[in-house]
Amino acid sequence: MKIESRELDGAVVVALVGEVDLQHSPTVRKHLMDLMFERRPVVVDMGLVDYIDSSGIASLVEAYQAARKNGTRFILAAVSQPAMRVLQLARLDKVFALADTVEAGLTA
Amino acid sequence: MRVEERPQHLPAALADDLDLIAEMTADFARSLDIEETLRLGLAHISTRMEAEAASIFLMEPGTGDLVCRACFGPTDVTGLRLVKGQGIVWRAVNRNATELVRDATDDPDFAHQIDNNTGFITRSILCAPMAVRDERLGAIELFNKKGGGSFDADDRRVLQALAASAALALINARQAADMAEQKALKHELSLAADIQRAMLPPQRPPEFPIHGINLPARGVSGDFFDVVELGDGKIAFAIADVSGKGMNAALLMAKTASLFRCLAKRLDGPGAVLAAIDSELAETSSAGMFVTMIAGILDPASGKVQLANAGHEPPLLCCGASQSRIDEGMPPLGIVPELFAQGCPESVIDLNGGALYLFTDGLTEAGGTGSMLGADGVARMLAPHRIRPAPDRLRALVAQVDEAGLALKDDLTMLVVEDVRNQPIMNRQYQARPASLSQIRHDVGQALSALGISGPVIPDIVLAVDEASQNVIRHAYGGGEGELIVQVRGDHDHVDLRLIDFAPTIDPACVCPRDLDDIRPGGLGTHFIREVMDEVEFLAPPPETGNLLRMAKRIGGHENRKP
Repeated sequence: MKIESRELDGAVVVALVGEVDLQHSPTVRKHLMDLMFERRPVVVDMGLVDYIDSSGIASLVEAYQAARKNGTRFILAAVSQPAMRVLQLARLDKVFALADTVEAGLTA
Repeated sequence: MRVEERPQHLPAALADDLDLIAEMTADFARSLDIEETLRLGLAHISTRMEAEAASIFLMEPGTGDLVCRACFGPTDVTGLRLVKGQGIVWRAVNRNATELVRDATDDPDFAHQIDNNTGFITRSILCAPMAVRDERLGAIELFNKKGGGSFDADDRRVLQALAASAALALINARQAADMAEQKALKHELSLAADIQRAMLPPQRPPEFPIHGINLPARGVSGDFFDVVELGDGKIAFAIADVSGKGMNAALLMAKTASLFRCLAKRLDGPGAVLAAIDSELAETSSAGMFVTMIAGILDPASGKVQLANAGHEPPLLCCGASQSRIDEGMPPLGIVPELFAQGCPESVIDLNGGALYLFTDGLTEAGGTGSMLGADGVARMLAPHRIRPAPDRLRALVAQVDEAGLALKDDLTMLVVEDVRNQPIMNRQYQARPASLSQIRHDVGQALSALGISGPVIPDIVLAVDEASQNVIRHAYGGGEGELIVQVRGDHDHVDLRLIDFAPTIDPACVCPRDLDDIRPGGLGTHFIREVMDEVEFLAPPPETGNLLRMAKRIGGHENRKP
């Protein structure tokens, strides 16, 4: 999988591309937690996530909790169908702040 | 080599001699073609030592004769052969001492015949042997000091020094040539080994009914196995061991393998194939070489095997906990064609849910310290690996042979023919590590498709298998090394998945889904599994394994079935 970060409108857009599984979720976690440590607002672009497992979801949960503590923005945007299915299975689709598109996430 | 500046206090003649020795030694040392250098050097030596003629004799390997390899002067006797003990050259070589003959006519060993043949008149001779340690290489012989005098003691010392350095150069050159030859031979062997590996059948998916493994003890192997799919869904197979080892065995193996591949599809039954190979081998194979071979045909639909055995190690039939040897058979192939004139008898074996193991004596004789492993030993070694998919089972057995210090003295080849009628549609072994998960997901997805399942239930089940695999990797093995077997059974209505590991057995009570109201990272996996699957249970693990997790799901709704 790939992680692509870019600055946009004062936030960091982190695009996760491919399969976020146990092999790659530690990298995703570190990437997101570094941004949380810098108190950066983050929009996670999940449009190209083909697969995500419990370890990937756990990375998102951890970042979400850190953002809440910081009072910074942490939004999951354009969540792909396979990723949405797993969020629903975890009943986290009602917990995370979701946006239909990255643009919507930036202005939320 | 740099020649030292001539010291001023040496007599001019001695200084010249030292120069000659230094020059020639340097030439010998850097020479690539030492005999050519000796030929050129001979002219140089003759001129500087004021000889009218000179010859170099080298000992011919094999005959032990001294043969003239280079000449200088008015007559050319290159190729002249001196049989043992003949003349002054042999005297120098035998005594390993430089011979100075001031008047040849007085010397009883002088061979007048050569002068008579060539017209050359020999007066004095100086002959220095070339030898290194005990190895006699030849001699340098000078004839007639120019100006009518004889060679003297100083000449003797100079030629002796030159001969010693020439001898060393010869030995070096020969060793270099030997090494180059060995290197070339090694290269050829590795090419032959590559070709042999290419002759082995391709690796099939683990669920395929027949698998083989071949480990050559040396570069090339005298063993082979082959698996050929016949048109009617049946599968022909063979295992063979060629008598002897090394290149000859490898070549005969290549021939036998080609014959099998060619005949398996054309002839009716393994007996006919063996009889045909026998008549071909008996006609052309070299004396004393023979082939032990089993050929067979598996009908995967009935689980029955047609088998013909020509002198090969009896195969082992393993059904559940019982084993039996299939003893019937003929003598080896390639000995006497009449033996197979009436054909080769076949037996029919019902695999009955079990597996037939065929092997070469590399396995049964891998008993270390002279003891034989034997067919019972093979069965004993197989037992702990029975649960593994066939290719992994063969690898585990071979690894065990190695681990027990039963170093391979012989090529080791093994073939397993399984009744796959009640086997899982997917049965694969993986290293229990995160990097395997992507492959596991891919393989499970394909197996579900193959069962006729489609739609959104596939990613759900794949997620459950992934999460269960993660539990094995993270919790059962605790991050340590190990293997994980994933099995898929079922049909378009119902799927049964099993994960088997070799980790310490865990207490199922400790595996519980987390409370979803408690939002925190981790602990989600087990919840996913229970959410997706209808049944999740730990079953009693098969012998020699750690844990067996069974997950099942009924596939409802048309959206999850292929039209």
